[in-house]
Amino acid sequence: MNDSPDLRVDIGGLVLKNPVMTASGTFGYGREFAELVDLQRLGAVVVKGLSLQPSMGNPPPRIAETACGMLNAIGLENVGVEAFVREKLPFLETLSVPVIVNIYGKTVEEYAELAGRLDSVEGVSAVEVNISCPNVKAGGVAFGVDPEAAYTVVREVRLRTARPLIVKLSPNVSDVTKIAEKAVDAGADALSLINTITGMAVDVERRRPKLANVTGGLSGPAVKPVALRMVWEVVKTVNVPVIGIGGIMTAEDALEFLITGAAAVEVGTANFVNPGATMDILDGIEAYLVKHGIEKVTDLIGTLEI
Amino acid sequence: MIDERMEIIGAEPVSTDCYRMTLQAHIGYADARPGQFVMVRIPDGLTPLLRRPFSIHRSRRLSASRTALEILYRVVGKGTRRLAGCRPGDRLDVLGPLGRGFSDPPASGPLFLAAGGMGVAPMVFLADRLCRDEKRRRDIRVFLGGRTAEELLCRDRFEELGLPVVLTTDDGSDGDQCLVTYPIEEQIRLIPPTMIYACGPPGMLSCIAGFADTYGIRVEVSIETLMACGLGACLACAVADRRDRQRYRHACLHGPVFDAREILLP
Ligand SMILES: Cc1cc2nc3c(=O)[nH]c(=O)nc-3n(C[C@H](O)[C@H](O)[C@H](O)COP(=O)(O)OP(=O)(O)OC[C@H]3O[C@@H](n4cnc5c(N)ncnc54)[C@H](O)[C@@H]3O)c2cc1C
Ligand SMILES: Cc1cc2nc3c(=O)[nH]c(=O)nc-3n(C[C@H](O)[C@H](O)[C@H](O)COP(=O)(O)O)c2cc1C
Ligand code: FES
Repeated sequence: MNDSPDLRVDIGGLVLKNPVMTASGTFGYGREFAELVDLQRLGAVVVKGLSLQPSMGNPPPRIAETACGMLNAIGLENVGVEAFVREKLPFLETLSVPVIVNIYGKTVEEYAELAGRLDSVEGVSAVEVNISCPNVKAGGVAFGVDPEAAYTVVREVRLRTARPLIVKLSPNVSDVTKIAEKAVDAGADALSLINTITGMAVDVERRRPKLANVTGGLSGPAVKPVALRMVWEVVKTVNVPVIGIGGIMTAEDALEFLITGAAAVEVGTANFVNPGATMDILDGIEAYLVKHGIEKVTDLIGTLEI
Repeated sequence: MIDERMEIIGAEPVSTDCYRMTLQAHIGYADARPGQFVMVRIPDGLTPLLRRPFSIHRSRRLSASRTALEILYRVVGKGTRRLAGCRPGDRLDVLGPLGRGFSDPPASGPLFLAAGGMGVAPMVFLADRLCRDEKRRRDIRVFLGGRTAEELLCRDRFEELGLPVVLTTDDGSDGDQCLVTYPIEEQIRLIPPTMIYACGPPGMLSCIAGFADTYGIRVEVSIETLMACGLGACLACAVADRRDRQRYRHACLHGPVFDAREILLP
């Protein structure tokens, strides 16, 4: 159709057919949603956080529902890179959708080795580095809250990968722009934010934390205003594409991020509530562009007037 | 598996806090297996946010294209309270059928169905299906336990199928005053079953799972865990693997029905 808007966006060298992707840890390895979502229509699939070795994650209970949100302390359970390449990637490769692999490690070396391993794997379109994990050599302080640690880990990953490199920022910092600048200095092609906000919930009958891990990460509609504010701060500071994440349930939510300056969005918790959320959001963005006579989604991005 | 907006065609209380709801569902539910479940949400609004898991309580063919899907639930919090306020004509988002259900029974020998409290929900569906085989009917024995007589739900459904039902209550208000696991163990000694199917509170399931080891009987348990997606994506529903302590199983994918020897019950 002639008048259907151009939805293509460029994420640091990776061109997506539209700006709607899935958020890591909320869409499995894609296949889980194959019967419910037309996967071919996704801008990209971002898979569950991957580590060098398989990881069993935290003991249950791992989630707790909160007002308009949820806490999770899954603990990054995943099959490990070799099983991913062998068992999960082949299905994703049958789709004509970019596969973005979200990676994490407990040390800088682990991140670098993993990035290097994936660099040789065809079918991986880009890497998203989750820097919200504890750095075991720095007493467990997350890489993503220390500008120098963030710089080091991104630089080492950069040295090992030629793929577009997205750095996923933690919101658990007082000034996210400091980390954003360091990540870009170290070679990030794009930034994504936010990861979950650290939180907690208590079972008053048992006087115990609702999560076995005591604390967890908050996601869902409750975090959207915080995410938008952080995206706004970051797009004003850096000149690489920014991917907006946090509480996106509807097309209107996604449009808020795009107008604020995000070049694309990732949909997370919404996939649990409405497995078809990504499709509804994509349709809604398209309808909005048509209604407002906007020919290209890139003409909408960053048009916030203050 | 589909996500469908279903019309409620029946909603009635079955005891003080428990309700039975009937939904007009896709014909695909005619092939659902006992033990499988659905994830349910009231379409409007974001509270509660996540869908709630419920076992399929019964599924009956309505027409060539529709099935009547029943759930049986107890009001325990926000989500189930809102559900109890829904009326015929209202619509719910229902994702399913999900998970791995109960296995087919061994070719011969006695079969025990053990239900504690709300654990009776999937057992009615299981009994329905097992009784399709007229010859198996006389092999089946049902054990129903609850805290009080009021908690002994669906006894009539089993009796309609012509199945013998052994009742127990904690307070002695109906049946024998003991845990449901006592008459089960007694019966095991008299007529060892070739399979025990069980659903109920964790304590009851651990005890029955113990019979698998003690008496060498196949036991399948349907368990409950917290769940966000029901699809194998969120990994909330971790269950400890009995043989391999370095990994978790996932209740929505590998369960909710497990061979008792596969997992460590909480
Ligand atoms: C596979 C499966 C089948 C189930 N089948 C039935 C059934 O047939 N009938 C029935 O009455 N109940 C069943 N349950 C339990 C039912 O899902 C919970 O009672 C319900 O989610 C409570 O929601 P709420 O909002 O009323 O309670 P709240 O306590 O307000 O819920 C808060 C959170 O805890 C979760 N939650 C609370 N209790 C349970 C529980 N026991 N199991 C799992 N999650 C829980 C909720 O889903 C929600 O995320 C089943 C659970 C599972 C996992
Ligand atoms: C259950 C769950 C698991 C997650 N796992 C990961 C992960 O493995 N790696 C990661 O970078 N982010 C992970 N996240 C964070 C999400 O990708 C996303 O950044 C966050 O949830 C905010 O978006 P939302 O509000 O749309 O969910 C996870 C979130 C949830 C709810
Ligand atoms: S409930 Fe999400 S993985 Fe099992």
